[in-house]
Amino acid sequence: MRSTTMILLAMLCAIANVQADEIPSHPRELTFKPYDFQLPDPAKYRNELSNGVAVFMAPSAELPLITIDMRFFGGTYLDAAGKEGLHGIMGSLMRTGGTKSKTAEEVDEQFDFWAAQAGTGTDQYFVSASLNCLKQNFDDAFGLFIDVIRNPAFQADRMALLKDQMLEGMKQRNDDANSILGREWGALLYGRDHFKGRHATKKSVDSISEADLRTVHQRLIHPGGLVISVTGDFEPQAMLQRLEKLMNGWEKKDRPAKPADTAATFNPGVYHVEKDVNQGKVNIGMRAVQLGHPDLVGIQVMDQILGAGGFTSRITRRIRADEGLAYSAWSRTIPGTYFGGEFRASFSTKSSTVAFASKIVRDEVNRMRNELVSEEDLDVAKKALIEGFPSQWGSEAQRCQRMMEDELRGRPFEYWRTFRDKVKALSTEDIRDIAKRHLDPAKMAIMVVGKWEDIAPGDREGRATMKEFGEVQHLPLRDPLTQEPIQPE
Amino acid sequence: MTRIWIVLAALLCVSSSAPAQKVQPESFMLDNGMEFLLLPRKEEPNIVFGAWLAKVGSVNERPGITGLSHFFEHMMFKGTSTIGTSDAKMDADLAARQHEVRAKLRNLHLHTQYSRWKKGEIDDPWDPKYDTDEMAKLRKELQELIAAHAEVIVDNEFDEIYKKAGGTGMNAFTSHDLTFYFIGMPTNKLELWAWMESDRLHDSVFREFYAEREVVHEERRMRIDSTPTGFFDEQFDALFWQSSPYSWPVVGWPTDISNYTIDQARDYYAKYYGPNNLVGIIVGDFDPATVKPMVTKYFGRLKKGPGAPVPATLEMKQMAEKRMYAEGDCQPQVEVRYHGVPFGHPDEHALEMAAEILNGRTGRLYKSLVEDQKIASGAGVRVDTRKYAGAFSFGAECKGSATPAEVEEAWYAELQKLQTEPVSERELQKVKNRVLADSFRRLQSNQFLAIQLAFYESMGGWEYINNAPDRMAAVTGEDIMEVMNKYFDESNRSVAIYTRKAGTASAANDELADIPDAVRPQVKQALQFVAQVSDPAQLEGMLAQIEQQAGQMPPEFKKASDYIKKKIQERLAVLKASSAGSDEAKPQPATTGAGADSGGE
Repeated sequence: MRSTTMILLAMLCAIANVQADEIPSHPRELTFKPYDFQLPDPAKYRNELSNGVAVFMAPSAELPLITIDMRFFGGTYLDAAGKEGLHGIMGSLMRTGGTKSKTAEEVDEQFDFWAAQAGTGTDQYFVSASLNCLKQNFDDAFGLFIDVIRNPAFQADRMALLKDQMLEGMKQRNDDANSILGREWGALLYGRDHFKGRHATKKSVDSISEADLRTVHQRLIHPGGLVISVTGDFEPQAMLQRLEKLMNGWEKKDRPAKPADTAATFNPGVYHVEKDVNQGKVNIGMRAVQLGHPDLVGIQVMDQILGAGGFTSRITRRIRADEGLAYSAWSRTIPGTYFGGEFRASFSTKSSTVAFASKIVRDEVNRMRNELVSEEDLDVAKKALIEGFPSQWGSEAQRCQRMMEDELRGRPFEYWRTFRDKVKALSTEDIRDIAKRHLDPAKMAIMVVGKWEDIAPGDREGRATMKEFGEVQHLPLRDPLTQEPIQPE
Repeated sequence: MTRIWIVLAALLCVSSSAPAQKVQPESFMLDNGMEFLLLPRKEEPNIVFGAWLAKVGSVNERPGITGLSHFFEHMMFKGTSTIGTSDAKMDADLAARQHEVRAKLRNLHLHTQYSRWKKGEIDDPWDPKYDTDEMAKLRKELQELIAAHAEVIVDNEFDEIYKKAGGTGMNAFTSHDLTFYFIGMPTNKLELWAWMESDRLHDSVFREFYAEREVVHEERRMRIDSTPTGFFDEQFDALFWQSSPYSWPVVGWPTDISNYTIDQARDYYAKYYGPNNLVGIIVGDFDPATVKPMVTKYFGRLKKGPGAPVPATLEMKQMAEKRMYAEGDCQPQVEVRYHGVPFGHPDEHALEMAAEILNGRTGRLYKSLVEDQKIASGAGVRVDTRKYAGAFSFGAECKGSATPAEVEEAWYAELQKLQTEPVSERELQKVKNRVLADSFRRLQSNQFLAIQLAFYESMGGWEYINNAPDRMAAVTGEDIMEVMNKYFDESNRSVAIYTRKAGTASAANDELADIPDAVRPQVKQALQFVAQVSDPAQLEGMLAQIEQQAGQMPPEFKKASDYIKKKIQERLAVLKASSAGSDEAKPQPATTGAGADSGGE
């Protein structure tokens, strides 16, 4: 009797164990603890030197490396007409052109021997200088790094070499259809006179002199507006003192004037550049909002649903999963820093289905404007942004970088503090209204680089042709070195 | 004297530094043979990077199923009988009917269409526009089944579940030797990862087995066909590897992409996706004590596979130099590639160190070819170590008027130096310092750590991450000289020479850019005119006229007139060549579809 009970009990226990340990039949049966993510406190990272320079620091002893990153205001947007390439050359040659006391070769050799990665460069809006090296070499490497930043020699042979390399780069401008698309797209949306639509030419680069570089260096490389971040294995107080010392006698000047928006506008419709490839490379889009716009959080949620959320978003799902028209298809709003940015949908598809895929993009944009999204779609988008929020912050070093970027672009931390609540508060009506305010196929350009003869008629099934999208303008290919139109032979 | 002392001090300073960081994942194996590597790391709070790899890649394929490993990677995101369908039974039925119809259609492609193609009746046996009536009927039937199937498919449910849970960066990649699936997850949702990944390994249904091929064809067009050198790179790989399965592209040949059958797929899956051929990898902010039982529970449900066969065909020894000359929309450039050693070979580290000596801003190639000789805009070498073979390749883009031949010669000169003169102590120390610093740099992110663990574990052992820096530090100048004399014979190399295709609209025009702005429009007009003239006599006349005027021409027009003259001469050459039956007149060889639109399925 007793033994039977024991066996029964044992069996029950075994069953209970199996149940506790059983794999649920669907993931919805899984339960999770809430995540305990704490938004980082910016005060913990941000310091200010006596001259107002912001220094973001995140010490970590995990690895014996130190990274320092400096950002000066002013970028390629300052290139005057006819001097395109100037700010880029200055940014690059700071590091590669030697210093007043050391030849370029000596500087290169020294950094390399210390295994230090030192680099300088210019992007649209900033000149950046960064150093990554072993802790044990930091004192020496940092000294040389500062010498490079403050006393560049712009050695003539290195300037000639850089110009040659730029020329070789230019020669490849028409080799890849995507690179043609990128340039023509910028020129269409912002105009050829605007820095986003202008490019260096052989002539503009040839015209750049050492004196030009000195002028730019004097105008931009100073503590006015400078932002610094330091991450890795260092002692924060000692680092601040060192940076404070660096500022001694370094004259602070005004930041350069901010970049201005373009006055150019474009006509909606189709733009095409001929290139003999078996896939059309396509951008569809229009100008959009600037950072700081109150709708920005809502736009992000809308984008998640429309085309920025990977496989679950509508444009990707329809073009790729449903129709098998493309490997890559997406859309997103890229807010501008100083003026309105752009909304862009982009895909590559075989020539015959360019029209059909374009039609899908147009239909999906219209659907966002005209129909309420389902509660379920909204829920996926919201959860992606809220549950995925911790992943956006990464390591201490990544947090430091993000705060530096926000400081440079003037985004208040409040944005992150309220981000999840703002996402939560959005309704399906909000999403539709935001789509109505910010997206409109009637105002969009469709730009296609590819073989027009195969693209224009559309597919054999007759699902769409390029005629449906308005007037077609055939843009000439541009000479890679002059950027002037090449007349078809 | 002072200088030498400084150098010595620097050497001492470096050699006394801490040894390279060691990575210590907890490693264990489930009863079914699945291995796990768990690496807790607190630097990225609240998140983990979850991944697993299958030790399978294009090296495990054979002609007929090239690209199948990569196709699987796509299939793995299509769900299971639980995820991705509203009606599992209907889902399975519709898939089975597609397999039937498709088998008939495939049969007709391979027999009827291939035989028509052999007779020259059609130029592409896979293009639906050549369908026979019977095929058109079957294709229509297949498409109807696919459409009906779409009704019971819950699109991208797999992605949606992860997305709602805050998963980020979900993706996968396939290489020659491995397939890797990964995602970033909030730590509290790690169990979801275990559920989802073990489910798709346990119960994969290969949904959209035909529809997804179109996506893969588009991927091929994007990555290979429509890039400046894609076709040539692929051709050079096929030329370089003779018998090794490394000769075909990871994405596969287009005819094979159109061709896989469900039986081939199931067979492949059984062989290579058994747990005993898989490794799970978790890096990030988690507690191994709770994660270990969790992965044991979930992945423990997978049934042990038969074990993956080792690809038997080894690369033949190369007996003679091979060369490829390609003309395209690309910079003139050269690649010289040699057969090297597979992963784990004792010469691997010396070859890596030789590459370190050659590469970088103060490396020998940049200094010599770019800075001193000014014949290249960039130059470097790459050690491509794979599981069953390896390669060492030099590549450079020509600068200005330098030709690929000059750059190729310059490489041989650098090579000879390494073969005959020992590397200086300082040079060697410099790259050892770099190797040490890089050994730390590569440990800075969860994702990169996981990828390295996966990569080296699939090749032969993750411990490589810890051992390689020390082994590279032990390489001597003599070791480098020895390997440089061992693998770099002329008969062991393949050379690819790329030149820019003349006369394409995209060709850059150095000379035209030099012509003053004021004159350029007239020059262009003149050139358009020249391009239309097809009478050689007329062109000769124009040349004579320019010659006559040359004396009176103002200097600013000199460049322009020289340029026009040159263009007329080029045009003359073309006209003469074509009248003699030049290459241009040759018909294009029939292709089996790489460039053609293989649409349809």
